[in-house]
Amino acid sequence: MTTQNIGLLKAMTAKMGYLDQRQRVIAQNVANSDTPGYIPRDLTKVDFGRVMAESYNSKILRQDTTDNLHMPSHREVADPKNRDQKTVYETAPAGNAVIMEEQMLKSTETTTDYNLMTTLYQKNISMMRTALGTGR
Amino acid sequence: MSELYGAMTISAHGMKAQSTRIRVISENIANANTGAPTPGEDPYSRKFTVFKNVMDRDFGDRLVEVDRIRDDTTKPFQLKFMPDHPGADENGYVKMPNVNSLIETMDMQEAQRSYEANLGMIEQSRNMILQTISILR
Repeated sequence: MTTQNIGLLKAMTAKMGYLDQRQRVIAQNVANSDTPGYIPRDLTKVDFGRVMAESYNSKILRQDTTDNLHMPSHREVADPKNRDQKTVYETAPAGNAVIMEEQMLKSTETTTDYNLMTTLYQKNISMMRTALGTGR
Repeated sequence: MSELYGAMTISAHGMKAQSTRIRVISENIANANTGAPTPGEDPYSRKFTVFKNVMDRDFGDRLVEVDRIRDDTTKPFQLKFMPDHPGADENGYVKMPNVNSLIETMDMQEAQRSYEANLGMIEQSRNMILQTISILR
């Protein structure tokens, strides 16, 4: 039994992967806060409740896509997409639309979420340790 | 976690670009009084940095880089009455650089803030990495 087979931990790993990716996108935006014509990007939202349900409910069978040309199963949870932000608050004369405050807020959001995930992960592991009898 | 290291690389490139900008600004301030050496010549011209977002094949993502350092041609040179100067024309006027130290100071502040923002991003990415490592404890 690896931790990857446990539904909750699997969902949390997926969420942490998403937050990783988002942090990178935000770093990109901040680094380009003075680049003419740069439009900030963001990841599309992913329904983690569904990721959770999917990994929890092992009764649901899902078609595996082994090739890019395969049609995705309707149960597939969409991967986040890295897109230009549709609504921008304001655009500088040089065409740059990065609002530093907005980006800072987003990065704090990401860090807080990540913190939550790691804490939950640790709690879960310690719970398992207790169950195994080696917990403190 | 490789994404987080990537985020740090992107921020580091942002910091590098901003430090180039600061270098150019200090060049402007240092040369604010560099007048024309001879009557026919132009004095020091104000410079400014332009950034661009370029694809880095080795890294696999777009990084900020300094596009080029340009001369500011929008502002005219100022004339200063200094008859003793070797660059003075027949009326005693010397062409002085188009550097406005107020603008330069403001630009410097802005560059500093952007640098700090990038530094903040590195700090946050670093905290995220440390948190992940602390799961093992």
